Amino acid sequence: MSASPRKTDIGPPHYEQFLPPIIKKNYGKWLYHENPRPGVLVHVAESGDKLYSVRAGTPRILNVKTIRLFADLADKYCGGHLRFTSRNNVEFLLTDESKIDALIEELHDLGFPVGGTGNAISAIVHTQGWVHCHSAATDASGVVKSLMDELYPHFVNMDLPAKLRIAFACCLNMCGAVHCSDIAILGVHTRVPEIDHANLPKMCELPTLIASCPTGAIRPATVDGQQSIHIEEHLCMYCGNCFTVCPAVKINNAKTDGLSIWVGGKVSNARTEPKFSKLVIPFLPNNPPRWPETVEAVKHLVEVYAANARKYERMSEWVERIGWPRFFKLTGLPFTKYHIDDFTHAGETYKRSAQLKH
Amino acid sequence: MADPVSVEEVAAAMFDLVKSTYGKKNLKAMDLTKAMIEQFGEDRCDKQLCKQAIRQLIDSGKCTYSYVGGSYITLPPEAGS
Amino acid sequence: MSEKKRETPLLDELEKGPWPSFVRELKKSADTPVIQDLLGQLERSYEEHLGHWKHGGIVGVMGYGGGVIGRYSDLPEEFPHIAHFHTMRVNQPAGWFYTSDALRKICDIWEAHGSGITNMHGSTGDIILLGTTTDQLEPVFSKLTEIGFDLGGSGSDMRTPSACCGPARCEWACYDTLAAVYDFTQSYQDELHRPAFPYKYKLKFAGCPNDCVASVARADMSFIGTWKDDIQMDAEQVRQYAASGTVDIQKDVCERCPTRCMSWDGTNLTIDNSECVKCMHCINVMPKALRPGKERGCTVLIGAKAPIVGGALLSSVFVPFIEMEPPYSDLKELLEAIWDLWSEHGKNRERVGEFIQRVGLGNFLEQIGLEPVPEMIAHPRTNPYIFFGEELHEKQA
Repeated sequence: MSASPRKTDIGPPHYEQFLPPIIKKNYGKWLYHENPRPGVLVHVAESGDKLYSVRAGTPRILNVKTIRLFADLADKYCGGHLRFTSRNNVEFLLTDESKIDALIEELHDLGFPVGGTGNAISAIVHTQGWVHCHSAATDASGVVKSLMDELYPHFVNMDLPAKLRIAFACCLNMCGAVHCSDIAILGVHTRVPEIDHANLPKMCELPTLIASCPTGAIRPATVDGQQSIHIEEHLCMYCGNCFTVCPAVKINNAKTDGLSIWVGGKVSNARTEPKFSKLVIPFLPNNPPRWPETVEAVKHLVEVYAANARKYERMSEWVERIGWPRFFKLTGLPFTKYHIDDFTHAGETYKRSAQLKH
Repeated sequence: MADPVSVEEVAAAMFDLVKSTYGKKNLKAMDLTKAMIEQFGEDRCDKQLCKQAIRQLIDSGKCTYSYVGGSYITLPPEAGS
Repeated sequence: MSEKKRETPLLDELEKGPWPSFVRELKKSADTPVIQDLLGQLERSYEEHLGHWKHGGIVGVMGYGGGVIGRYSDLPEEFPHIAHFHTMRVNQPAGWFYTSDALRKICDIWEAHGSGITNMHGSTGDIILLGTTTDQLEPVFSKLTEIGFDLGGSGSDMRTPSACCGPARCEWACYDTLAAVYDFTQSYQDELHRPAFPYKYKLKFAGCPNDCVASVARADMSFIGTWKDDIQMDAEQVRQYAASGTVDIQKDVCERCPTRCMSWDGTNLTIDNSECVKCMHCINVMPKALRPGKERGCTVLIGAKAPIVGGALLSSVFVPFIEMEPPYSDLKELLEAIWDLWSEHGKNRERVGEFIQRVGLGNFLEQIGLEPVPEMIAHPRTNPYIFFGEELHEKQA
């Protein structure tokens, strides 16, 4: 091959070349859709054409060998056309209804469950964790795998009051949208970072480091005759922002890092407005390889929600109807001072009325 | 614009700034831009010109982008050490 | 070099169970020294409860400041094959549609020049190629561009914009999300690849208020499809839903409507569309009977972000309604005005949402040249400490 000039700024390939013929034909002319069974959607066009999407869960970390298997399935069942969803599921786009069963069977044999549609738990969106991240308080893939093994029946069935979206982030950077999920699991640091004074001046720029702290806890200091920093411990809330700008301020801690659980967030506008998830369990131990405390807690939350919420009520809508006191009573979770906000505008989260259920 | 500076001149002045602050202060694209407008004057240098100068510095390999929680413009590893 | 297979008893536990296993995905390449070291280091993390990666530095392809994330093991002597283990972000096709051919080509490149491990996809939407060495970055990049792919964003730049599947496969798409995300991405290649902002800037295109790309939680600018006129109704299909027993129209639809703008008399569903807030609930419940109206466009919201640095924010209304037609000139003008203002006055690592909190939405609007409208707020201020400007009395005079 002759050396071609180096290309830059070409941007992504145009999407049209990847669309199957049935989509090109009916683009923007879909009439309605149905969800005949878990993991299968049928979209019906004004023309009468029907497009069947078969959705399978993946572990997000995919080997190219697995992607090739998906490509082979797409060739075999849908003219080579497939897509991925915003929650890391793979979707095969079929026009022949009679091939759905065979495709689902092949996916099952390969270990990829079909589901995640309708009133179900879809795949948990998550971050990199110990597989690839520097600031992870815990692993991500391992906790998610452990959770989904237990929640599996809710992925392959549609037996919940409404859809339930779970997200996982391994630190407060939250590169997953965990802060607006029905259930969010968040890795937390709980101790002040350890400062590597010997290397700090070489590795980090002081003004940026000092400015990185949201509470102004970082002060310049001279340590052993070298320019370094001092952290006001009482101001530190372990966000790890300093570590992101300066690797010599070590936030990760094998003994004191752990997980927290938040509920009642959503992003859709359906019925109620989008909202943040709220803290329900401040700290659970970091316990690989299966994180039993976290799995048990999430499973319990799903069960209490499923048993008590009314049809179409998402986690947030259920909690809003029953109120937080009853939520803590029904779940049996202890309510502590850590549940009460103390950052900016904390007062807005206090109950400011006498309207209480007794 | 009265007697504008050339892209090359701005790039050279930017390079001097990056070199003189190396290891002491991380500079972002906007820090360089503001410094150049200050140095050459608003009537001779603008954001667009600075953008071209940064592009020239980076494409020529004289400077490179770095990441330390945010993106900065710095000297390439060989030149800096 | 004789590579010893590493023991991974803790990770092996995660090969069990019904959900697909990431450990199994890694082990599919267990014959390579890179994956042996990756498994070894990960097992170590599981033993010690501690991550072993270092971040940052100077890695990238020539000319770009985005698209490559520098990653290094902090145990390079023990795990030499992952001493450098950089991530490459590849700009996904709009809506994540692929052909098997295109995927195979990406796989071939990544198997030849990287770990063979990917994320499909990363949180922002890119194809994530997980783990390669500095010397392989240029070869991967040149091969990717040859098959028509380019890198996405990272660092203080416009991050790779993403979109829901839109009109390609959804009857609710109120504008062409795929056309829009493609157009904006192509228009701002420089902003995507050459970081010049105070911090990241994310764009997300959602076709309807269900917001399947979580734009309201994650995008500095969210384009959420909506409509202005009446919900389209097929009255016969409404009766079919009622007759089928799958939907209790009174309970499941009328009583769940946030503005109670619907009534059902057993035969006819009536909607007071002037009261409708376009929440999508009734349409979600009865997609065969109800559809968004015909006068479609989007609501633009601004400023969402995760907690770092100053706390999490949801995006808030910026333009209550605008038609989404190419070339999107008004929106691009607005976007560029925002970038200009924020780039000049934003602090280092300050997202635009935080910038607005700091300077005040009112001042921000004034600088951008946008009139304040009540759609932008949940309620007017309750706090009487008002920074009155000189213009108050100038206007009265």
